[in-house]
Amino acid sequence: MSVCESIDTLSMAYLDDELAGEERRELELHLHECASCRGHLDAERAEHELLGRALVAPPAPDLLRAKLSRVLDAEDAEAARAGRTRWTRWVLPGSSMLAAAAAIVVFVGVQMPASEHRGAVVKDAVRQQARMLPLEVQGPRTGQWLEQNASLELPQAHDQGWPIGARLLPRGVNGHDAALVQYQLELGGRPSMLSVVMIRDVRDGDLSDGDEVEVNGHVLHVVEQDGRVAVTAVDPTSHVGYAFTAPELTANELLYIVGRMAP
Amino acid sequence: MQAVRAKRAEFEKTALAHLDAMYGAAYRLTRNPRDAEDLVQDALLRAYRFWDSFQQDSNCKAWLLRIVTNTFINEYTRRKRSREVLDAATAEQDATDGVLVHAAANDKQSPDRLLLEHSVSDDVQRALEQLPDDFRTAVVLCDMQGLSYKEIAEIMECPVGTVMSRLFRGRKLLAAALREFAVAEGYVKATEAKSQTIDLEKYRAERAAREGSR
Repeated sequence: MSVCESIDTLSMAYLDDELAGEERRELELHLHECASCRGHLDAERAEHELLGRALVAPPAPDLLRAKLSRVLDAEDAEAARAGRTRWTRWVLPGSSMLAAAAAIVVFVGVQMPASEHRGAVVKDAVRQQARMLPLEVQGPRTGQWLEQNASLELPQAHDQGWPIGARLLPRGVNGHDAALVQYQLELGGRPSMLSVVMIRDVRDGDLSDGDEVEVNGHVLHVVEQDGRVAVTAVDPTSHVGYAFTAPELTANELLYIVGRMAP
Repeated sequence: MQAVRAKRAEFEKTALAHLDAMYGAAYRLTRNPRDAEDLVQDALLRAYRFWDSFQQDSNCKAWLLRIVTNTFINEYTRRKRSREVLDAATAEQDATDGVLVHAAANDKQSPDRLLLEHSVSDDVQRALEQLPDDFRTAVVLCDMQGLSYKEIAEIMECPVGTVMSRLFRGRKLLAAALREFAVAEGYVKATEAKSQTIDLEKYRAERAAREGSR
């Protein structure tokens, strides 16, 4: 592909200052020799500047600044009244997790699935979350049902969210027994969904793809899979893995919540 | 309480410095000052709540614009969906009444008023109106906010190549619409695209092959 053939791409990247030094020099050299490309770049530059001028927006109005200040005051007052931020209510009591872990040890058995395919567990977990399978139990009995049927303890979420229901995953997750729990979240009046896949007998490394992030002393991993962001965590004592997804939240928001729910 | 005050002071110093950028993006995304204010308020409150999770060494402006963009996408798509349901219901009602009203006939604004409100600034907003959301978002983040392709790709959760093609097509559509609305302004004539595809990766791969064969 010659410079002439790629001039649309190159002039765009050039004007947006996205070309590498060498590419930039090559284009500039070519422009000296080629009147057609030079003319094209000039026209593109004019259009670029036109759009830049057209898109200039007014500054934030002073009234908005004043209003935002009041909104933040109200938020601070609420945080102070609660004695902590609303998010800390998500904290999962570690002791109940350990109890669940003790119950699971029996289940683990002799053989742990080999983890020769790194990433396969996460991949499958995220796929299962996207499948929209019907829940087997709905409503307030979810925790009890999960304990009876999967010997897994429900991560608690008070006030700002509640479990909608759960199901066992018929095919498991990449050969591991697994269950799915769904929560409805109410974040500042904005409803959203949180799905958690709980996976038995995972090894260190099975869920450690993507970026490692430490939140609240928990080591979490953020991966992108099929256009979904998932945050994963493993309870090192029980070998239960967790994969959280929430399509309506950003990666940062999801991390923040998981940092307060993770084992 | 001390911690709350410290957090607030830090947030105001670091995040509120980008308020004009947030408002500008919201203004162009929603195309209406009142919605822009609501969007900025929602986004800023979310940013404040999640401030602890912001990585201090990363780009604060890009982080805030990400929240603005996501809030816009979520809110806007929901509103649009409910409006479509409403429109469908209205259409059905009209049909059963035996009266099908053309949308333009419902426009209660007088011609004088329409003329008065017509300005170049409205042209920009109306031109933006014609762009698909993805194109508009890419153009706003790049041409207005000066974010890099990579930062936009992270915000829009898509590959850099997709950002480039959205930008390319969005800019062409926007420029064409602006020209159409503002012929009297003496804007530049249309630039003819020489190819229909934007693909920097392909160019780089072929360039590397060329270098290698030398």
